[in-house]
Amino acid sequence: MIWARRGLRHLQLLAVVLLASAFMSPAPADVSKQFELSLQGQFFPGLSADSADNREQFFTGIEAEFSSDFDSDHLIGTFLPYGRVASTGGEMSRVDIRELNLLYTQDNWEGIAGISRVFWGVTESGHLVDIINQTDQLEGFDGEDKLGQAMIRISRLFDQNSVDLYVLPGFREREFLPPDQPLALPFPISNDKPLYGADNEAQHVDFALRLSGYQGIADYGLSWFSGTSRDPEFIPESTGAYRPRYPLIHQAGLDLQLTLDSWLWKLEAIHRAFESDTVTDDFTAIIGGAEYTIYGLADALFDLGLLAEWHGDSREDRATVPMQNDLFAGLRASFSDTQSSEFLAGVFSDLDDGSNSFRVEASRRILDDARITLEAQTFVDVDSDNALSYLEDSDFIVLSLQLFF
Amino acid sequence: MKCTGVLLTVIALLMPHTLQAETPDARGLEIAAQADKRDSGWQFQSSDMEMILRNRAGKESRRKISTRQLEVNGDGDKTLSLFHEPRDVRGTAMLTFSHGLEPDDQWLYLPAIKRVKRISSRNRSGPFMGSEFAFEDLSSQELDKYQYRYLRDEACDRYQCYVIERIPLYDNSGYTRQIVWLDQTEFRSIQIEYFDRKDELLKTLNFSEYQEYPGGFWRADRMEMTNHQTGKSTTLLWFNYDFETPLKSGDFNKNALKRLL
Repeated sequence: MIWARRGLRHLQLLAVVLLASAFMSPAPADVSKQFELSLQGQFFPGLSADSADNREQFFTGIEAEFSSDFDSDHLIGTFLPYGRVASTGGEMSRVDIRELNLLYTQDNWEGIAGISRVFWGVTESGHLVDIINQTDQLEGFDGEDKLGQAMIRISRLFDQNSVDLYVLPGFREREFLPPDQPLALPFPISNDKPLYGADNEAQHVDFALRLSGYQGIADYGLSWFSGTSRDPEFIPESTGAYRPRYPLIHQAGLDLQLTLDSWLWKLEAIHRAFESDTVTDDFTAIIGGAEYTIYGLADALFDLGLLAEWHGDSREDRATVPMQNDLFAGLRASFSDTQSSEFLAGVFSDLDDGSNSFRVEASRRILDDARITLEAQTFVDVDSDNALSYLEDSDFIVLSLQLFF
Repeated sequence: MKCTGVLLTVIALLMPHTLQAETPDARGLEIAAQADKRDSGWQFQSSDMEMILRNRAGKESRRKISTRQLEVNGDGDKTLSLFHEPRDVRGTAMLTFSHGLEPDDQWLYLPAIKRVKRISSRNRSGPFMGSEFAFEDLSSQELDKYQYRYLRDEACDRYQCYVIERIPLYDNSGYTRQIVWLDQTEFRSIQIEYFDRKDELLKTLNFSEYQEYPGGFWRADRMEMTNHQTGKSTTLLWFNYDFETPLKSGDFNKNALKRLL
């Protein structure tokens, strides 16, 4: 069994080396190369001086993207390695392969094999339907960053619809922030060996199916996932620590957007059923809301979007996610200047206990090929029973500079 | 040769009489319809475009975009734009299905988050990528989007032109009217003046360096848009026009936005 597992690992490694060397070969077909260098400072002004080590942290990251069509009308290869160095070192410094895949297209058929990232869904303040990739928690608090996932995808494209079948080998665990990190979970995690619902653990092969398309003003997606949950449960141990456990789940998802003039109406809903030997009950969750945009304000200087989205979860208080009866309300200003300046301010409010979290994001292009981004979040009146109560002192400001070349 | 010349002169002498019988509106529509007809039947085309934005002080910034278009019979065209520069939006793609007077269907693909977003096409009068071109200036020009009126004949640039006025009939236009100069031999747009909602002259667009492509289709390699109210201007330079490489409707699918190189 162990040998079989090791065999598979070696096979995966071999595939990585082969695909990577295809891009690096001395006389490659036309390979396009793009690089993004990012410099980031994270500041936690609310932390006490004794945790001063991590009150300020700095990161330097580089993402490269190599792609080629290998002089073929049907093939596209992509290799996207990423690495970063953290001022705090240790686990916060890392190297990862975000994408390494070959895409084959033939008429209305499409197939991809390798490591890739996929996004499903329509809502802005949270993502329920999106399930293929593991969340990359080391990169950002908002959960928008994803780890690459090994997959084979076969798609059939129709005029207005598409059917995608995914076979997903090689589960990736969630990487948790080390306990000395300001946004780390408030309990110790036994991360040496997670537990799995599947007998063959991380080697379990997951499946997913998605139908998506549009008709008139409606864009829709229906999805089905069967396999190892990307979200862990936490099993208490005698040591007082918690061990992550990845149960087997079946999840149905729906996403829908109606685009009506200045209104965008959005809905995401999932139902997740667990295999019997789990500690979590089946549940249904939804995010629904709207965005209304007023165009051309202040002499066409900017467009102002008003957003509201409600998050509901049938587990209510037992939900392991902080959003079970919460409202997100926000403003988005998109400027028509040559720097494409953008500004977003919003608040997440727990409608049960009155806990609030305010968030601001602002960005603009500088120096033609660079972008500067400010992100700040503060946690206000967080109820002691709220799932986010451990973040009360973890208000943060993140300043990033991305250079593209 | 001489014979043809005489014949043309005779026709030209006769024409004013036939024109006088027409109302300016009918004459304007006739000219616009002729221009529309001359630019029909290309089926598909692709090209690369560089956009040079200049502010009042003359400071420049650049954008690079490649576009693919599919002609749709009985409806507006399908357009796919892939952004290369500025580099922070590299890989972003915009897909537009235009529908004449009805709102367009529009999707945006954001490569950093792998997300295809349906966006509102309500913002026709908004600036395209911070330039002096509004979305409506660059969108598919269908005959039924305007009401036309013939104004006069006049020399323009090095051509003899028809001058017609057109009033947008679609919702949310930023203009009360436009005045278009079309050359009388090939019906190419030579100049367009745009009047804002207060009916004041806002912008002038000049087309130059026209080239003829197989099938008799003319494309300007250079377009200059000058905003008279702000002093800003935008130049569009077009390269690599291709009417040969076939494109089909499957290339204009919102689910195919992710696979563009």
